[in-house]
Amino acid sequence: MPQQKTPTLAAIFSDVLARLAFMFTEDLPVDPIPGGGWIEASVGYKGPVEGRLVLTCTREFATVLASNLLGTDPEDPEADVKAEDAVKEFMNITCGQYITAVHGTEAVFCLSIPEVRTAEAPPADDAGPQQVLLSVDGHLVQLRHQAGPAPAAGAAREQP
Amino acid sequence: MPHNVLIVDDSATMREMVKRTLRMAGLDVDGVYEASNGIEALARLAEHEITVILVDINMPTMNGIQLLTRMKQNQRLRHIPIVVASTEGSRERIEQMQQFGAYGYVRKPFQPEQLRDVLKPLLGVKDHAAAENADAGSDLF
Repeated sequence: MPQQKTPTLAAIFSDVLARLAFMFTEDLPVDPIPGGGWIEASVGYKGPVEGRLVLTCTREFATVLASNLLGTDPEDPEADVKAEDAVKEFMNITCGQYITAVHGTEAVFCLSIPEVRTAEAPPADDAGPQQVLLSVDGHLVQLRHQAGPAPAAGAAREQP
Repeated sequence: MPHNVLIVDDSATMREMVKRTLRMAGLDVDGVYEASNGIEALARLAEHEITVILVDINMPTMNGIQLLTRMKQNQRLRHIPIVVASTEGSRERIEQMQQFGAYGYVRKPFQPEQLRDVLKPLLGVKDHAAAENADAGSDLF
C-alpha cells in the first residue's frame, strides 16, 4: 500500500543517513536550486514484489555525503572524486534496509547494481504518496519509490 | 605471520570506510588489500597471503556468493575465513552464506564495534582500550 510506504521510506532514509554519515534530515522548507548540478541515483529490487528507489540530489550534497562517509573535509578532492560512488553505496544500503523494513526478513530480494545519471532539479511541490522531499543539512533531496518492474534500460540483475 | 585483510566491495567509498574502521577498531592488521569484485579478489588471493576476507554480496562481474563458492572449491583458499559485509537482511540469504562457508556476517551500515567483534577472534587487537569497549551487533556463524 503506497500510502504506508512514504513514512517508512523517509524514516529509513533518515536513519541510514544518520548512522552512516552523521547527517540529519530537517523539517524545514528548502527551495530547489534550478539549473544544473543535479544527479539521480537509483537501485532496483526484485523478489516477491519489485520496484526501485530513486534519490535526486545535488552533486554538492553527494560530495558532502562522500566526505562524511570518508571522514574527510568536503573540500578534499577525494570527496569530489568519490561523490557518485558514495551516493550509489548509500542508496544500496538504504534499499536493503527499506525492503527488510517493509517486507521482513523471510522474503528474499535481489538488488540491482546502483546507477547514477545527471538529472533535472525536482519541483518544489513534487511530493506524493511514493515520494518525499527532505532537507538534509540545508540540501534539498527527493527520494521516491517506484513500484513495479524497472525500465528496460535499468533492469535488476539476478543474484544466484 | 602477518595479518592481511582483503576487502572485496564494488564501492571504493565502502572499501575506504572499512579500512578506516579497521584502523579505528584497533585490530592487529598488517596489510590491507582491495578488490572491486570476485575476479579481482581471486587475483589478489593469488598474489598475497590473506588472513581474512571481507566481502560484499551484490557486485558486478563476480558477486560475493560466486566468490565464496569458488574459494571453497580451491584447496589453498578454502580455509581462509570469509566475513560477509552486506545490505542483505533476509534470513534465507544469511543462512545461504553460512552454508557456503562464511565465517561471519555484518550488515551495512555497521558500527566499528560490530566489525571489531566479528574480526577480533581472527586478527586479535592492538588497542586493548578499544577492545574493552566492545559491543554486540554482529553475527558469528
